[in-house]
Amino acid sequence: MKNISDEIFKKIKDNNIKPKPRWHFLTKNYFIWLMFGFSVLLGSLTFGIILFMITQLDWDIYHYLGDSFLTTVFISLPYLWLIFFILFIAVAYYNFIHTKRGYRFRFISILFISLIISAILGTGFYYNGFSEKLDNIFLEKIPYYKNLTYTCENQWMQPQKGLLAGTIGEIELFKNSFKLIDFDSNQWKIDINDTLWKGKLTPSTGLKIKLIGEISGENTFKALEIRPWQKRGKFFNLKK
Amino acid sequence: MLFTTKECIDKTDEQLVTLTLKNKEYYLCLMKRYESKLLGYILKISNLDRQDAEDIIQEVFIKAYQNLNDFDFKFKFSNWIYRIAHNATISAFRKKKASSKTVSWEDKDLDNILESSLNVEKANIQKLTHKQILEIINHLPLKYKEVLILKFIEDKDYRVIGDILHKPMGTIATLINRAKKSLIRELKKEGINF
Repeated sequence: MKNISDEIFKKIKDNNIKPKPRWHFLTKNYFIWLMFGFSVLLGSLTFGIILFMITQLDWDIYHYLGDSFLTTVFISLPYLWLIFFILFIAVAYYNFIHTKRGYRFRFISILFISLIISAILGTGFYYNGFSEKLDNIFLEKIPYYKNLTYTCENQWMQPQKGLLAGTIGEIELFKNSFKLIDFDSNQWKIDINDTLWKGKLTPSTGLKIKLIGEISGENTFKALEIRPWQKRGKFFNLKK
Repeated sequence: MLFTTKECIDKTDEQLVTLTLKNKEYYLCLMKRYESKLLGYILKISNLDRQDAEDIIQEVFIKAYQNLNDFDFKFKFSNWIYRIAHNATISAFRKKKASSKTVSWEDKDLDNILESSLNVEKANIQKLTHKQILEIINHLPLKYKEVLILKFIEDKDYRVIGDILHKPMGTIATLINRAKKSLIRELKKEGINF
C-alpha cells in the first residue's frame, strides 16, 4: 500500500491548510440553537393566538347557524394560524436535528418537546392577554387579516340566522327596548320583552353585547338572550 | 519534524487531537491510525475502486483536519471520523454511480456478516460462492448495507452506529432488523434455507 497518510500530510503542509478557528463552529452552533429557540417562541405566540381565537368563539350556538357541531368546528378553525404553527414547529425540528446531538432524538420526541414548550409558553401568552393584544395589532395593521380569520365578529354578525352583536346606544326602559349599533355601524331597535340576560349584565350605554333572537321587522331585532361581549374578564378591556 | 509511531502509540485519539491543534505533525499519527480502517470501510460500503477510495480518504482527512476545532471531546474521535468518511463516501458514490463489480471484501467478512447477523450455518453458506454472497450484499439498498457492515464487520454498537450515521439508536435497531430481513429474502431466492 502506498503511504496515503504521508501524501496527505505533505499536501496539508504544502497548501498551508489550517483548521478553521473554533469561533467559526461555536457561532454556527449558537446560531442553530438561536433559530430553534426563535422558532419555538414564534410557535408559542402562534399557539397563544390559536387558543385565543378558539376560546373567543361561542361553541354552544352552532344550532342557531343551522350547522352540525363538526361543521361549525370546520368553519371556525383558525387555519391561517394553524399553518403558521405547523411551519414554526417544522423549522424548530429542522434546527434541533442540526444541533450537535439532535440526531440522537427520534422525530416524535423532538416534535413532542417542541409542541409541549410551545403549548406551555403559548398558554402563558394567552392567559396574560398578550395573544389578544397581538391579534388586535394584526387586525389593525395587516390589511385583509380580518378576511383571513374567523373571528367572534364573524360568528355573531349574522342577524338573518338570529345572531347579532354591537354596542348599546340609547336605552328606552319604558318601551322595553334599546338601540344597538352593530359592528357594521347599522342601527337596530332591540326588543327585550322576553329576554334572558346572561352573565350578570347591567344594560348601559356603550356596553358591548351579543344577542340571540330573530329579526322582527325592519332594523328591529327581538332578543331572546343577551350575553356580555367577552367571557374573559380583565382582557375584555383590551379589545377595542 | 515527524513523530515516530512510538510517540503516538500510547496516546488516545482525543489526546492526539489536542496535540494536533498545537502541532500539526501529530495529525500524521491520527491518519496512520485510521488510514486502513477507513479505506476498508469506504471500499465495502461504496464498491468504488481503490483509486477512488484513496481520493475519498484524502478528502476525509483534509476535511477532518480543517474541522478539527469542531470535534466535540464528549464524543469519540473514531465515531467522528467515520461520520466524515460516511458522508464523503455517500457523496462520491452518488456522483459516480458505482458499479458492483469491484470485489473489496475479505472472505472472512462475508462469512461474518452471514453467520453473526443471520445465524446461518457454515454448511449452508458454503452452498454459495463468495462472489454470489457479495453480489447479494452489494444489491442491498445502501442504507441496509452500511448498517450491516458497521454492525457485523466493523463490530460497532448501536450508539456508535447512530453517531456515525446521525440517526437515533431506535432507528438503527429498526434498520438492522430490516436489513437482516432483506438479506434473508435475497438468500432464500438463492436456495439458502433458515
